[in-house]
Amino acid sequence: MISVRNLVKSYGDVRAVRDISFDAKDGRITALLGPNGAGKSTTLRILSTVAEPDAGRAEIAGVDVTDQPMQVRRHIGVLPHNSGLYARLTGVENVRYFGQLQNMSAQDLEPRIEALVEQLDMADFCDRRTAGFSQGQKIKVALARALVHDPHYVILDEPTNGLDVMATRALRDIISKLKQIGKCVLFSSHIMQEVDALCDDVIVIGGGKIRFDGTIDALRELAGTEDLEEAFVQMAGLSEAS
Amino acid sequence: MSGFRVVFNKEFTDNFRDRRTLLSSFSVAILGPIFFVGVMVFVLERSLGDQQISFAVVGAQHAPGLMSFLEKQNTQINSVQAEEPRKLVTQGAYKIVLVIGPDYGERYARGNVNTLILIHDSSEISSTRRHLSQLRGYIHQYSRTIGTLRLWLRGLDPAISNPISTQELDVASPAARALMILSSLPYFLVLVIFMGGFYLAIDTTAGEREHGSLEPLLAQPVDRAQLVFGKITTTAVFGMMSLLVFLGSLYLSVPFVPFERIGMALEIGVAQLINVFVISVPLIFFAAALLTVVASFAKSYKEAQTYLTIVVLVPTLPLILAQLMNLETTLAIMFVPSLSQANLMADLIKGEGASVINALTSMVSTSGYAALLTWVAVSLYRRERILG
Repeated sequence: MISVRNLVKSYGDVRAVRDISFDAKDGRITALLGPNGAGKSTTLRILSTVAEPDAGRAEIAGVDVTDQPMQVRRHIGVLPHNSGLYARLTGVENVRYFGQLQNMSAQDLEPRIEALVEQLDMADFCDRRTAGFSQGQKIKVALARALVHDPHYVILDEPTNGLDVMATRALRDIISKLKQIGKCVLFSSHIMQEVDALCDDVIVIGGGKIRFDGTIDALRELAGTEDLEEAFVQMAGLSEAS
Repeated sequence: MSGFRVVFNKEFTDNFRDRRTLLSSFSVAILGPIFFVGVMVFVLERSLGDQQISFAVVGAQHAPGLMSFLEKQNTQINSVQAEEPRKLVTQGAYKIVLVIGPDYGERYARGNVNTLILIHDSSEISSTRRHLSQLRGYIHQYSRTIGTLRLWLRGLDPAISNPISTQELDVASPAARALMILSSLPYFLVLVIFMGGFYLAIDTTAGEREHGSLEPLLAQPVDRAQLVFGKITTTAVFGMMSLLVFLGSLYLSVPFVPFERIGMALEIGVAQLINVFVISVPLIFFAAALLTVVASFAKSYKEAQTYLTIVVLVPTLPLILAQLMNLETTLAIMFVPSLSQANLMADLIKGEGASVINALTSMVSTSGYAALLTWVAVSLYRRERILG
């Protein structure tokens, strides 16, 4: 389980995260939903151990991310908001690099890469340098890279950004499969429809605070409207601003 | 495999595939010595060729004595006929024209003054002026010899007409010129070491951040120290390869310089080059760590390029200062990175050999600075601000 309690984080004068608490359970897909600048990326950065909170606590499998980042890093797979691949390395080389950084032995790593290439349907392009890849191909490689050490916790920052319909569908299938094998998937998005199609639980963030925490149906009910977008706008506190 | 090895292997492969990195790492190293030897050959050939003066003479037949004297002085005399000797110069046929009047022989016999005309263009380049003054010198020498003989014939001491005499010694001999160019070699040494790692330092830091790969990288279970060691070592290895290419290129191109013709025995042998390489190793790591630290502060690739261009200039400043102040090799200098290596290299090339204490002082102190800078780099990567 991923568990976040009273997280606070500022960058200079900007208070990116004011007070965020939530849980993301195993075998479920949890979405962090919010407009741009709501604090989603900052929260995910703290969970992926590359940023430290000013106050509050974040635990993954009961391990504090600030106190024992090394242990946490072995159990998380992170897909950053832009794929962040090395352009002069091939798809497979990108994946292999992170597998080696996870200290995997060659005996474990090579079959794992083969399996991921098949699973993510990357055989056509995975041996080419990533420089000319389409957005969909990049996301697949980045996802394979995040999953290479078979992490239990998968953190995805706006994974469908820039993907076309087919690539988005393929990605949804992959995320659903992760859920079926019992992984804990946490992903951020600002697209209501996507969250609706994929998620079990949704956490709406607005202005660095939690606006809603529950299932999709509960969100609809609370907002008193069938229109999900309207519900999202109300919850994220966007309507007051406009 | 340790995190260090993994990072090193990846950075090496990655950057070895980058044409821009390879070009900037090795172009100075390959072309530097070739350029250097080219300049050297050009300057030496010119200064050797300088010694023969070529000029035209109008009316040579009137002064056979003077002509035979001049011919003995390593000159090339072109005897010409001309109505208007000026035009030979203004129209560019000759640089210098000596005009001897038809009454030369008669005046000579009577002991009168003979005035010869030297036509030249003073706006011409310096080599003509040098030839002119040399020719003037020869004519004066001839004139004095004749004068001296005449005084003797009349029973007078020739010294009476020569109360003061001067003797010139031109230190800008071809050998001195060669040495001056040689002293620029250490600049290349320092430049090559810094240029070798230039783009790697950017690519592994600011470049990694700009491409968005730094964030997932930092989420991997690798100690930041190993990460930074891996990056700095790759940068250093490129600096090292660049230096090896430079020394190899130097070794192959120096034999083309005609040192023997100026009576200099300069030999850049394998042993000397190995010594130069050994004393440079600490500077290579110093350069790699310095470039990495500075590039880590930059927000983008371009910004890093700007910063590092300045960083590459900085280590050459002490070299210029040292030459202006004419610094001798002292122990104190050995504590200054780049300056100490440049000094040691100069000593090694001149064949004087470097003192072991100086070399050790330089190596130990530069290694110390390199370690300090590496520590700074590691602590930069331990802060989350590195993500920008």
